[in-house]
Amino acid sequence: MIKIRGLVKTYGKNTVLDGIDLDIEKGEVVALIGPSGTGKSTFLRSINLLEKPDAGELTIDGHTYDLAKISKKDTIAIRRSTAMVFQQFNLFKNRTALENVMEGLTVVKKVPRKEARERALAELRNVGLEAWQDHYPQHLSGGQQQRVGIARALSMDPQLLLLDEPTSALDPERVREVQETIDKAAKEGNTMLLVSHEMGFVRQIATRVLFIDGGKVVEQGAPEQVFSAPKTPRLREFLASFNEYANTEADNAPARTPINVIVPRTPTIFPVKQEQLI
Amino acid sequence: MPDLFDIKLVFTQIPQLLAYLPVTLELTAAAGVVGLILGFLIAMIRVKRVPVLYQISTVYISFLRGTPIIVQLYISYFGIPILLKYINYWNGTNFDINGVPPVLFAILALALNQSAFMSEIIRAAITAVDPGQIEAAESMGMTPNQVRMRVVFPQAGIIALPGLMNSLIGLIKGTSLAFVCAVVEMTAAGQIMAGSSYRYFEMYCSLAIIYWIITLILEFLSSLLEKKLSIPQESPALKQATAQEVLAND
Repeated sequence: MIKIRGLVKTYGKNTVLDGIDLDIEKGEVVALIGPSGTGKSTFLRSINLLEKPDAGELTIDGHTYDLAKISKKDTIAIRRSTAMVFQQFNLFKNRTALENVMEGLTVVKKVPRKEARERALAELRNVGLEAWQDHYPQHLSGGQQQRVGIARALSMDPQLLLLDEPTSALDPERVREVQETIDKAAKEGNTMLLVSHEMGFVRQIATRVLFIDGGKVVEQGAPEQVFSAPKTPRLREFLASFNEYANTEADNAPARTPINVIVPRTPTIFPVKQEQLI
Repeated sequence: MPDLFDIKLVFTQIPQLLAYLPVTLELTAAAGVVGLILGFLIAMIRVKRVPVLYQISTVYISFLRGTPIIVQLYISYFGIPILLKYINYWNGTNFDINGVPPVLFAILALALNQSAFMSEIIRAAITAVDPGQIEAAESMGMTPNQVRMRVVFPQAGIIALPGLMNSLIGLIKGTSLAFVCAVVEMTAAGQIMAGSSYRYFEMYCSLAIIYWIITLILEFLSSLLEKKLSIPQESPALKQATAQEVLAND
């Protein structure tokens, strides 16, 4: 079990996270929802220590760490057990898909190359991208890049998988393939903490939903309860804005899924030649 | 006036000049390597904003980029002996000024000059590396050193390469000024030879041809290296899963 106690993060006078507590059971998928700028991403990044929290405790892997004064060694230990999937994918662009997944294994975990290769291939196979192993990120679609990102995170056998708006940089068609990949990883028993604005997806995948506003957990519960019977006015207001948006969209566009979509098997790439840049 | 321009001489005297090519190349290599190492260190100081050293490096770069290389060579050539004399005077040591080979003055001045230009190229390249990728590396538990070695430097190297090569090409031509430090490299040798034949124009034509060819060779090598290091533009073929893997998946 992973325990977070009293996580506080401030930027100057601005308190972004105001003492957040969270327990995550093994295999749970906890989703964070809430308006932009309320600290959802900061919360994820604080757990991974990409942001340095001002106060808070984290219990993971049987160790309890004081996040406010954490040593370099502990930072690395925490990062190794909490893998991050980024909104902008952040693949190493000078490495192929396979090398991206191998990187953490060989460099951080010191797994022998051959073994790391096998493991990385298995992870790529798991996200359906084994055939793309030699492709560089620039040759992959956004959805494929994010699936490599997920494979890269899972290759580290994290105690907790942190997903920071994993589909918000993608077009609707790519969103689906990434969501399916995340869904699969959840079904395989990975413990996850997900930040998302895709309410339908959150409802489908999460075992628990936390509504965060103003740096605090305003409401939490099972997805059914949070979405169908929100208790606090603030959450009702927040969810209403989503419904309004969905309704206006429905009014303007009769069919939400275009019928005659040709899905290319390989991404269409238009390599830009150097001469064309000026 | 059949004898005004001896075009044959332009080519026939090239071998004589090439005898001094090693001096030019040695100057270039020594100043290039020292300049690159120094430039890299200065770039790290600037990226990390190391207090005091950062301010010093700002003045250093500004001075070396803001003064002509020939002036810097003179300063090195006349200044270092004076400095050594003062050191001898203050410390009672007995460094022999005449024992310092003049080529060292030239290398020092050229290397410092290169380091100023190269440090800015390297600094720009390091800051151009996508911060998202650095975060990704950190988030998986890489140490700061691993992040530098695995993510920052390989990508910064690719970005810096064309600029560094450009700087190196500038340096090769800069070595032609080393004569002011009493170093007889190719240009100086040419001037000495022309002094007895009075065929100055032919001599400078020969020198121009040699420098141009060296630069062409360097440009060619640089483009080969760039091609080798850069990410291929073409997408590779899809890997076919082998029969075994297909079976294993089912």
